[in-house]
Amino acid sequence: MKPAQPGTPDWHSRGSLRRNGGRPCLAGALLLWVLLTLAPAARAADESYSFDLSEIEKKSWHIGGYAEVRPVRYRLNPDGAFYKLRFYNRHEGDAVDEFNGRLQLEGSYEKGIARLYMRTNTDYRRSYTGETEKTSIYEGYGSLRPSASFKIDAGKKNLKWGKGYAWNPAAFLDRPKDPDDPELPMEGYIVLTADWIRSFDGPLKTVSFSPVVLPVYDHVNDEFGAADRINVAGKLYLLLYDTDIDLMVLADGSRTTRFGFDFSRNWTSNFEIHGEFAWIRDQAKTRIDAAGSAETERYDAFSGLIGLRYLTTRDTTIIAEYYHSGTGYTAEEMKGFYAFVNRGWRTYLAGGGDGILQRALLTADGTYGRLNPMRDYLYLRITQKEPFDILYFTPALTVMANLNDGGYTVSPEAVYTRITNLELRLKASFLYGGPDSEFGEKQNRWRIEFRAGYSF
Amino acid sequence: MLQKLLISSLVLLFALPAFALDGPALLKQVDRNLNPESYEMYRKLINVEPDGKKKEFTLFSVKKGADKVAALFLAPASEKGRSTLRLGDNMWLYIPGVGKPIRITSLQSVVGGVFNNADILNLDYSTEYDVKSITDKDGGYLLHLKAKTREVAYDQLRMQVDRNRKVPIRIECLTEAGMLIKTLYFKDTKEFGGGLVRPSVVETDSPLYKGYRSIMIYAKIRKRTFKDEVFTLTHMPNIDSLR
Repeated sequence: MKPAQPGTPDWHSRGSLRRNGGRPCLAGALLLWVLLTLAPAARAADESYSFDLSEIEKKSWHIGGYAEVRPVRYRLNPDGAFYKLRFYNRHEGDAVDEFNGRLQLEGSYEKGIARLYMRTNTDYRRSYTGETEKTSIYEGYGSLRPSASFKIDAGKKNLKWGKGYAWNPAAFLDRPKDPDDPELPMEGYIVLTADWIRSFDGPLKTVSFSPVVLPVYDHVNDEFGAADRINVAGKLYLLLYDTDIDLMVLADGSRTTRFGFDFSRNWTSNFEIHGEFAWIRDQAKTRIDAAGSAETERYDAFSGLIGLRYLTTRDTTIIAEYYHSGTGYTAEEMKGFYAFVNRGWRTYLAGGGDGILQRALLTADGTYGRLNPMRDYLYLRITQKEPFDILYFTPALTVMANLNDGGYTVSPEAVYTRITNLELRLKASFLYGGPDSEFGEKQNRWRIEFRAGYSF
Repeated sequence: MLQKLLISSLVLLFALPAFALDGPALLKQVDRNLNPESYEMYRKLINVEPDGKKKEFTLFSVKKGADKVAALFLAPASEKGRSTLRLGDNMWLYIPGVGKPIRITSLQSVVGGVFNNADILNLDYSTEYDVKSITDKDGGYLLHLKAKTREVAYDQLRMQVDRNRKVPIRIECLTEAGMLIKTLYFKDTKEFGGGLVRPSVVETDSPLYKGYRSIMIYAKIRKRTFKDEVFTLTHMPNIDSLR
């Protein structure tokens, strides 16, 4: 059994009782003798350990970053509604290749109680649509910290509300994360926020309050919602009876009023449970039927997530979550949209132009075409640390099921981290689903990608 | 008068060893000899594989009172900015740029290697363990410790203590059934300032991880007090401001 290797959200324990085994042979015995003979000298050479104190000297500034390359191959799904929407006038064959590059640079400067921080992100993509490159500031803000119990931040920042792993229905001020890769860094919004913290003895150990102001104007957070509004939100955090509890609110502004609640608790030393809930007032949902008639319904929506994280004695981590999206579409509503696309497809093939498909494409943006647009999902991720005694090797299997239409995705992956600061990942995703199902109507049947990421 | 003096002297003579073998008092003294109750310090962790390859991590740690500890990764670049927090039995990991703090457990290891989170975010031994027995052995003391709760990473410890310095020389970590999980070796005693003289290197190996070793090197252990608010989830992204 090898020791656990650095991991992040996946849990790994002191290990099981598996031991290395082997059948001795003459060559093995000889090798063992040589190793044993040389081992004391080698070990003695290792016995003095150095700790250069210049390594820990604090500088007022810091510069670092991350670079990755990620080639991807997609197997197309000519029967899918989203294939018809995006490829109706293209002939790309059975598969398309894509090359992605990413460079993130971060820097900080600190003096006294003040700190400046910035992280930029540059994405490069070469695909069947051509070359694109986009550079943006993911985070860039200034902080003032007069004491350990009070801090104020102004600038572009991720707030990261919520306790869910794959979804965060109560992250009212964050961009939606990708359940297929929930740990990817995201772009923040420009905010003015503060943290006020108090600690206590007794069952209530911590209280913190974080008010947030998020303005929306032309070129300032204009992707967030209706312009010319000042949005006010807040989060109250409690550590009560060893349970993390958050209460959130976003007042009416660019988006409608919404309330959130989440919790997380270690049930036992290797078993965590968490939940996250959101109540959204006056949610607007636009539907389109097969004939192309659109209507907007307004209602109060409830979204919720319940999940667990479990670590076995064999270093297997299991993350499971059930997610209900009150803002999502029903299977019937999705069928109406797919029927509209298919009508546009037939019209296009019959020489009637692409007007319907273009309208469907516009409608899909942010609605039917968003990540997980339906109501009920199940997420399961199983990660095994270093199976078969392969050091630094971590395979995982992720399954996401759409409980409304029976479709699902299966994503095996393997991560290798032998070289310090370098992470290699090979991942595939297979989509399964019948006609009119979310995963059956996607533009791809499967994809395979390789990612090499280096931190510096 | 002479008789009373003789009796008093005899009583004192027998009482001295009894005091010296007061296990709980000795364990508290061991704790204080290892570090002040509230402190800051730097550590380098080295994971050594059987083929000699190494992975190194540098951490800045702070502790307050009996049950509050936080640690910040300074190196390597892939880990820089990560922080861990412990409040009693609660532990969290924060990864900058990725997400909010998530709950972890004492059995995990955020650095890999033979050290787990309980070793890295360790509390005072007297906070987590009761002394079951103490014996005078090999010129030192042997303490048998039993975990106060089931949340503690190791159910039992066998701690060999240096008689003069009152610091551990070797600690065996055992399961409830008495199976050895790992052994900690305390080495290279040196002066850290402020009257603190303690081992500067802790090495560990484990029968579960044959051929692997992990080493923790200590530097700049300094008595320091912090506000309680430093040890909160909300403060986790800002531990570097304490340096």
